[in-house]
Amino acid sequence: MTTETHLVVAVLTVVAVAVIVRMVRRGVLKAKYTVLWLTVGLVLAVAASVPTLLDTVADRLGIWYQPTLFLMLAIGFLLLVAMHFSYELSRLEKRVRALAEELALLRGPVPDDTADGGATGDGSG
Amino acid sequence: MRTAVIIPAFDEADALPAVLAELAAHVPDHEVVVVDDGSTDGTHRVAAAAGATCLRLPFNLGIGGALRLGFRYAATQGFDRAYQFDADGQHDASQIPALLAGLDDADMVVGSRFSDDRGYRVGRSRGLAMALLRLLVRRVTGRRFTDTSSGFRAFRRPVLEFFATEYPMEYMESVEALVLAVRSGFTVREVPVVMHDRAAGTASNRNLRLAYHFVRLLIVLLAGGRATGHTPQVAR
Repeated sequence: MTTETHLVVAVLTVVAVAVIVRMVRRGVLKAKYTVLWLTVGLVLAVAASVPTLLDTVADRLGIWYQPTLFLMLAIGFLLLVAMHFSYELSRLEKRVRALAEELALLRGPVPDDTADGGATGDGSG
Repeated sequence: MRTAVIIPAFDEADALPAVLAELAAHVPDHEVVVVDDGSTDGTHRVAAAAGATCLRLPFNLGIGGALRLGFRYAATQGFDRAYQFDADGQHDASQIPALLAGLDDADMVVGSRFSDDRGYRVGRSRGLAMALLRLLVRRVTGRRFTDTSSGFRAFRRPVLEFFATEYPMEYMESVEALVLAVRSGFTVREVPVVMHDRAAGTASNRNLRLAYHFVRLLIVLLAGGRATGHTPQVAR
């Protein structure tokens, strides 16, 4: 790997790990996502601290331009993350819909407020 | 025999009073249930003032979600049968007896604009899309339906209970619902009805959106899967 690529990976690692650790400490990431992103940080850290690792693996896989391996892994990982988010979103949407229906049922039929002396406001609760 | 009329309504405060008046004139003994699908134009007040039971969703779920809530309400309130009715005046209340008569020997009845020629006209691209849906539904269910996307439908209680949790959520849900009902072993039949032509522009006829949902529907039908919105079980 060239010095430049190594530098890029190193800077990325520092920034990524710093952001992850900060978010985890402030408790804004849920545990399951924490594990995910910390793994990323770890992989980045290993790649940055053992510069020959990427080269070796790339050579083994017959990849001429070593940074390609890095990009390939990154894209593969992002694809997985995006799929995971789609899954989580679908699940959340189902639950939100169910809750909306439940709320409408619990709230019960809208009372007729024209019957007792006329309505004021828009009647929304 | 208790019968509910389920009317999904999204911003239909203008059209609703005429529809409710027509229902009151033709079928005074049916309980009208308006599902206000997150309207911001006071649809719920219009419905309540007209004496309808109005359930209000906190935000817009789309017609599938509104219908599912209506089915759930009808099922939990012990109705024996229920039918869908459009809030925008597309359906004709004089056709209700014919629709309900179909329930004598079926679990679900679809009012068809096309099962004999009653003069309902659709545009060319829409006609083509409908023909393709007919073909696909026939392929998937082995049954012939002439109006797969009709929203004028009646249901017996078992179907109401089923749809209360399984009704499809996505746009153009009516075709999926039809296939789902047939596949789930319910007896479904069509009866010929007259419908009013839709006033131009009232339906969500934005072509790109329509095309997208049409393709989505084709994929769902061809894949033989079902994109239902199964309700996560909330404590009853």
